[in-house]
Amino acid sequence: MNYLIWRLHRNQAFFAGAVLALMTILLLVTGITMAHDYHVFLANCAATRSCGDTGQLFSGDGAIIDMVNLTVVVPLLFGLFWGAPLLAKEFEDGTHNLVWTQGVTRGQWLRGKMLWALVAAVAWGLAMTALVSWWRYPENALSSRFSAFDIQGIVPVAYSLFAVALGIAVGSLVKRVLPAIAITLGVFVAVRVVLAIYGRPHYMTPISKLFALAGPQGPPAGAWVISNSIAGPGGQSFGESFSPGDIPLACRSGLATGKSGTLPCLVTHGFQQLVVYQPASRFWAFQGIEAAIFVVLAVALLAVAYRRVLSRDA
Amino acid sequence: MAGAPGDRDAAPAIETRGLGKRFGSQWALQDCSLSVPRGRVTALVGPNGAGKTTLLRLLVGLASPTAGEASVLGRAPQQSEEFLSTIGYLAQDVPLYQRLSAADHLALGAHLNARWDETAARERLSALKIPCDRPVATLSGGQRAQVGLGLALAKRPQLLLLDEPVAALDPLARRQFLVSLTAAVAEGDLSVILSSHLLHDLERVCDHVILLAASKTQICADIDGVLETHRMLVGPRRKISDIERSLDVVKATQTTNQTRLLVRLIGPILDPSWEVSEVGLEDIILAYMGQDEPLAAGPLAVMGATQ
Repeated sequence: MNYLIWRLHRNQAFFAGAVLALMTILLLVTGITMAHDYHVFLANCAATRSCGDTGQLFSGDGAIIDMVNLTVVVPLLFGLFWGAPLLAKEFEDGTHNLVWTQGVTRGQWLRGKMLWALVAAVAWGLAMTALVSWWRYPENALSSRFSAFDIQGIVPVAYSLFAVALGIAVGSLVKRVLPAIAITLGVFVAVRVVLAIYGRPHYMTPISKLFALAGPQGPPAGAWVISNSIAGPGGQSFGESFSPGDIPLACRSGLATGKSGTLPCLVTHGFQQLVVYQPASRFWAFQGIEAAIFVVLAVALLAVAYRRVLSRDA
Repeated sequence: MAGAPGDRDAAPAIETRGLGKRFGSQWALQDCSLSVPRGRVTALVGPNGAGKTTLLRLLVGLASPTAGEASVLGRAPQQSEEFLSTIGYLAQDVPLYQRLSAADHLALGAHLNARWDETAARERLSALKIPCDRPVATLSGGQRAQVGLGLALAKRPQLLLLDEPVAALDPLARRQFLVSLTAAVAEGDLSVILSSHLLHDLERVCDHVILLAASKTQICADIDGVLETHRMLVGPRRKISDIERSLDVVKATQTTNQTRLLVRLIGPILDPSWEVSEVGLEDIILAYMGQDEPLAAGPLAVMGATQ
């Protein structure tokens, strides 16, 4: 069984291995330079007691940063090129008829195939996320880790598992490679986007805190700011809908003349800013919750594929 | 029907009782009851859509029956290594991994089967001068069919099931395939069932026939027996309904002054006005296949059915 899987999929493994090796070299080289720049920068901070503009630090590294951000699609690629064809290719070519009448049962065959696809997804996912998490260490220190939530920590592994399981399940249902790839693509993107936008901010009740408008105080460093809005004297938020009409008449003179008196005026009238955020300390809890959701989805999808194949009148 | 282990060696190669398979509202195979003894080479014939493929898939466990039951070598077709190791199956259109070579396939088989006769398989392929190291996609249809047969035989199965193995082959490749098959049968204790709509070829290699038509079994018997029990009768024209009272008519064709009958013998033909002659297997099979069609005048009806 394992020989069959190796023989059929070794090219995919070699290709993925080559891509991973390339990426490793690239990230090691750039990661070491960037970490070095960062430490020089910190040393300067300590020496001069002023850190200046951190935004300038990695300004020359835009290309590599973009590339690392693109690793967000890697789990999807596993789903499209490992998961979807795994069963669909056999059905499309009719080779399931060949292999299902050899001396191994359909269950053994399926477990073998699924196991190796999942092991590969986890192994590659782990390698990638370990690399990216290490590489992002200076950036994580400078900004919020939440800003690159999807490409580091443990969620990339869960996404990979989910993508492969989704591909396998879709392949077992539609039986043809191209439709399986297309459907896997659509469903994966939909689930990821919907959960990231509508689910993730609510995994734990966010903290709402009032701060002085344009004051020195703000949400703690590394927090994931979900919303930042102006709140009236009573503390009620205007949300997105704050308009000039909401500004007290006493403060409007500055608006018309273009003078900058409006903000201090609003402060004196009791206006504040309401920040809703998830503190940085919740990063791993959020990673755990999101990873658990995708692992549960993956298990459910594998169960669908398993039932489908074992009961299938091929 | 699946007897105790001790009975298995004596169990028929194939036995089905009321076997049926429905896809949606359409019966692909219905009420199929038959029994094929061991050691036979059985031709499974019937028009397209008669359920030949469905029957074979039910017998190897690739499909599960909607009704009735099947027993292969004394076992119900199932997902177990014991059952799967007793059968060799070559599906329609010879599915192979296109990018793998014949040698790769043999290696796969060796890993997937407890019993695997690789030496014999290699010898068979090299005797046919089939390149073992090229992707099978580059082989001819006849060569691919031989690779498929080689894989099925390398399992050393007790029952070999072949679904339309020669349908897509040219006459030469077809003959070579059947020669290989005959040689394999001669070598050992092997039962074979092969489906085809090419009756000519089958008559040469088969000694048993199953005819499926209209999703039902019409004949399941030794070919010799079939030939012995069917006769062509030619005589003066008379009413078919009168004839059917005393004879089991398979097919009747009438011209203005003549009646031609293909009958299944239930006893001796006593009426001296019939001119009795023997008939070939192909004519008998076609007569059964044509039963559902409206009676056309003249022997052209039979000719037409041969395409």
